[in-house]
Amino acid sequence: MGMLAWVMMGLALWHFTIWLPDRFWGGIVGAFLGALIGAALFGLIVNGFVIPGRHATSIGTALEAIPGALIGIALIYFEGIRRERAGTAAAGVGA
Amino acid sequence: MTDRQRHGFILLLVAGLIAASVFVIATQRTILGLDLKGGVQLVYQGEPTAQSGVTQAALNRAVDIMRSRVDQLGVSQPEIQTDGGKQISVGLPDVTDINRAEQEVGNTASLFFFDWEANALTPNGKTVASQLLTQDPTALTISQGGGLGPGLPGGGSTSLYQAVQLASKQPTAPVSKSLSRPPGRQYYLFGAPGSAACTAAAKHFGTTVVQGTHCLLVGPDNEAPTATRAKALQDLAAGLPPGVTMSEGQVLVVPQGTVVLQAANPSASQQIKFASPTAEFYVLKDNVALTGKDITNPTEGTDQSGAPDVQFGFTGSGASRFQSVTGQIAHRGANVSLGGRTLDQHFAVALGGISSQLVTVPSIDYKQYPDGIIESGGGSGADITGGFTSQSASDLATELRLGALPINLKLISESRVSATLGAQALHQGLIAGAVGLLVVALFLVAYYRALGLIAVAGLAVYALYFYALIKLIPVTLTLPGIAGLILTIGVAADANIVIFERVKEEIRAGRSIRAGIVTGYRKGLTAIIDANVVTIMTAFILFVLATAEVQGFAFTLGIGVIVSLFTAVMATQAILMTMSDSRTIARPSALGAGGKKREWRFDFMGASKYFFSMSGVILLIGALAIGGRGLNLGIDFTSGTRITTTLVHPATATQVSAVAGKAGAVDPQVQRVGNTGDTFQISSKPVNGGTGAIQTALQAKFGIKTNNGTLVFDSTTVGPTFGRTVANSAVIAIIASLLVISAYVALRFDWKFAVPTLIALMHDVLITSGVYALTGRQVTVDTVAALLTILGYSLYDTIIVFDRVRENIPRMPRAAFSQVVNRSMSEVLTRSIATTSCTLLPIIALLLFGGSTLQDFAFALLIGVASGAYSSIFIASPVLTHWKEREPVYRHRRHRLETEYGFVAPYATTGADVEPTRDRRRRPSRRMTEPEPDTVSAAEFEQMKRDIAEEEAEPSRRTSTLTQRLARSQPTEPQDTPPAPGPGGRPARGGRAARGGAGGTTQRGGAGGAAQRGGGGGAAQRGGAGDAGGTPSPSPAAPVPPAAQPPQPPQTPPGEDGREEPEFRHAPDEAENDAMPQTPKPARSAKSRSRNRRHGRRR
Repeated sequence: MGMLAWVMMGLALWHFTIWLPDRFWGGIVGAFLGALIGAALFGLIVNGFVIPGRHATSIGTALEAIPGALIGIALIYFEGIRRERAGTAAAGVGA
Repeated sequence: MTDRQRHGFILLLVAGLIAASVFVIATQRTILGLDLKGGVQLVYQGEPTAQSGVTQAALNRAVDIMRSRVDQLGVSQPEIQTDGGKQISVGLPDVTDINRAEQEVGNTASLFFFDWEANALTPNGKTVASQLLTQDPTALTISQGGGLGPGLPGGGSTSLYQAVQLASKQPTAPVSKSLSRPPGRQYYLFGAPGSAACTAAAKHFGTTVVQGTHCLLVGPDNEAPTATRAKALQDLAAGLPPGVTMSEGQVLVVPQGTVVLQAANPSASQQIKFASPTAEFYVLKDNVALTGKDITNPTEGTDQSGAPDVQFGFTGSGASRFQSVTGQIAHRGANVSLGGRTLDQHFAVALGGISSQLVTVPSIDYKQYPDGIIESGGGSGADITGGFTSQSASDLATELRLGALPINLKLISESRVSATLGAQALHQGLIAGAVGLLVVALFLVAYYRALGLIAVAGLAVYALYFYALIKLIPVTLTLPGIAGLILTIGVAADANIVIFERVKEEIRAGRSIRAGIVTGYRKGLTAIIDANVVTIMTAFILFVLATAEVQGFAFTLGIGVIVSLFTAVMATQAILMTMSDSRTIARPSALGAGGKKREWRFDFMGASKYFFSMSGVILLIGALAIGGRGLNLGIDFTSGTRITTTLVHPATATQVSAVAGKAGAVDPQVQRVGNTGDTFQISSKPVNGGTGAIQTALQAKFGIKTNNGTLVFDSTTVGPTFGRTVANSAVIAIIASLLVISAYVALRFDWKFAVPTLIALMHDVLITSGVYALTGRQVTVDTVAALLTILGYSLYDTIIVFDRVRENIPRMPRAAFSQVVNRSMSEVLTRSIATTSCTLLPIIALLLFGGSTLQDFAFALLIGVASGAYSSIFIASPVLTHWKEREPVYRHRRHRLETEYGFVAPYATTGADVEPTRDRRRRPSRRMTEPEPDTVSAAEFEQMKRDIAEEEAEPSRRTSTLTQRLARSQPTEPQDTPPAPGPGGRPARGGRAARGGAGGTTQRGGAGGAAQRGGGGGAAQRGGAGDAGGTPSPSPAAPVPPAAQPPQPPQTPPGEDGREEPEFRHAPDEAENDAMPQTPKPARSAKSRSRNRRHGRRR
């Protein structure tokens, strides 16, 4: 149940990335993966790599996914920018 | 074969099948499932034995044996089948006694023969045989029975705790064929004497506490050799009595190679149960000499004293082994009988399984049989005596005759449905189905008129075929099956809607009725097949992975979709084509294609940000609800007992709960169900020992209604194993469905289309889960089935949109991807709304008129289908757009448009940029499902022309600040300024014509009404059949003010983005146009245009 809450929260937050400029590594799908993986991974880390069961899941469990999802999205975003710059620089050198 | 002959043949086939269906319906009976006619349903989990693992062959053999047993018992129409990987589901109609059913069907009846003294252990852990020579008194007691008889209680037996403790100290033996119980370890949990745990356990099991002895809290639980201790303890904990924890007990583990056997019953009248406090036990080395497989012809008989016994012979190898073991026993008897004292030795007969019991321990007279008992085989060479009644001897003989089950079976779920509640459910299901069919028919007729009538005829034919197939196969009709049937009504109607919308489009585009029907069916078929294949795949996955109950739903869904493909596509096409020359559908208005098509001009992609945010908020709330409230999982997942009963006297839920609690229900939750107010549903933790006590208590206190002499009392008990299996199979089915669907979409479209589909499906499933968490509705097996159906159905809408996107991509080789998607969605939105409505109507009928089970289905389907329609437009398509626009091709196009106009308009039909190849050679044979790439009617082509003009005029209405500034700063370059709106607010047309250059005339078109472009001073001349739409063309001579001229697109050569579309060639751009002869073609006559319009000539 904990994993369901994390994935759901990650997916929910991903929806709001539509407002950001599309500079994600892999585009909107990259952001999607970043949000989901980030949410699930962070949730696992916080809970000592144990997925909370049905009775151990609370609102806090769902909220635990927020930082992970945001970190995941941010990582994908900055990686996208980095690659973009690297591409531009390479194009400049080539020219 | 001509088209007419082909359609005539199809109609004949349809008529023939109708006649056959009527015959089948009239002559065959409908097989109703247990949930509709009442009976007992048992689900067993197969467990390995030393002789056999849980293989499919072993399961099939077990099913055959169980069927033979049921046949012997005279139960009509039993349903016994393997279910999932390791389960066997047994349905026994008209049986109401669950306990008797369990005993008759699931008894493993494994017969084992032990050399008694060689294997029985004394308290010091040594075998009796080894202690006899030393005259050990305990060994002598066990051997000779202490005056009571060997193997009986009191003949050297001990309590269960002592026996298990002794057994737990024995060494582990290797796996061999001589083991009687399954390989692995057996776990027991005992409570301390006088502990609260023992009191709670005694209350739970309905036994009494024996002072001063340890009590069994849970077990024995057999674990495979590979199972860890943690897993074993987890399994033990799942079976603990309520209020008892693992820490309150002592875990004892019996290793492989040692068996604890309950002592034989002293007499026929003294049957002692395993859990009874008076039961006593022996410990033996698990080393069997013979098994039930070695005997033949077991029959009930009587011994010399007239007591019932079971007589049998041996197989060839069995006889040899029997002689060998009895010979060894006789020799040992001779050896230990020293000093004039006769100590006959014995062999033991036991009925095995996880908890085994001795049946008898007969002696071998070593003087009479010094070399053992020689059995020639096939005869009645031995008999088993010991505490049999005539009935139990007969039962054992029958079980042995039919054969022992090759594997052990553990009962994990049992349910009982009364005939009355089943009939009520059937009645509700039929009403829901009839209402669903009616509302869909009304919708189709109201919306599509003549086409709707044909679709309704198709639906009627579909219903007839489907019902006949159910009887013919035969399919056992269950309640979930009825839900599947009702859902397929919507699916069948959807197929018609997809085609009819396409037919209307073609006719509105200028094709004749006949040509419109042919083209509409051909173009619509791709999307229908794609969507239905996905639904069939989902149904197949459900059928393979789900429980027996849901399999009925999956099967009917799968069959229904296949039949609907025939009736909705082939049959209706044949009817329509046959009627196409008749006056009935001579006018487009008869087909609902009379008026102008509703044009959606909504900027779907532009608004997607807001819809995304809305979905995000819904999911956020759902995630918090999942965390805060959780899902209300039903007993299918959590294990427990559910009772539904109708009471005679008025009662409150609290009163019913109190009575049920006193009768053994643990922590009962009671709620009223149904409309009458006298039916209650009681949910509790698993009630061991059956629900008989609760039934009796409720009957005594409130009275239970009867129908035809049968009590209206349903009960279902699900064990933790079954719950785990259901949950696991649900997760596997969902993941498998997602993967299969993605793979299919990737193959049929493009892998980049699969990812948005996957995201949209996740969106639908999670939103449905969130709604369940928010509303607190119970999640059952049916909900999971509905969720999986949502996966398949949600894709229906997505595929319809994507199919159109796929079709429009080559038509718009210069448009931004968002423009392609916007246009595609505007074209299919009406269709999507119609199909979604058509599916939702029968679902709403289910929700309103179906019983509680069907309402479970309907609620999940309602949320899922609505969410699916929404996500296909506002989630899948925007994600696809965002992703595709990152591709260099589309990035370049967007950049070009932004450079030219300052922004990208929501809509663009770059039809002006393409021209269908006129003398295109068609391949002689093509796949039916291949997307129609380029068939463009004359009017459609003209429409594309008009659209591009509108697109180019668009900047005048939505001119960006940048463009306005440019326009102000460059008054001498009017061609870079967007056109000013024309009279009435419409932009002036003919902007593109300016491309012809001053004084130049570029003419395009020809038969079918191509646009004639250009003209002096940039005027545009439009003409041809395409203008029948009513848009007046500006006169060729009409002067266009310079300010109204649209911006000039750059001089881009064809195939600028490196993707020359194979079926189209780009129109020449200015550079080419300048070089082309500028001779205008003579204007075509009105007669010619009219003819083209009538015959729908294609370009």
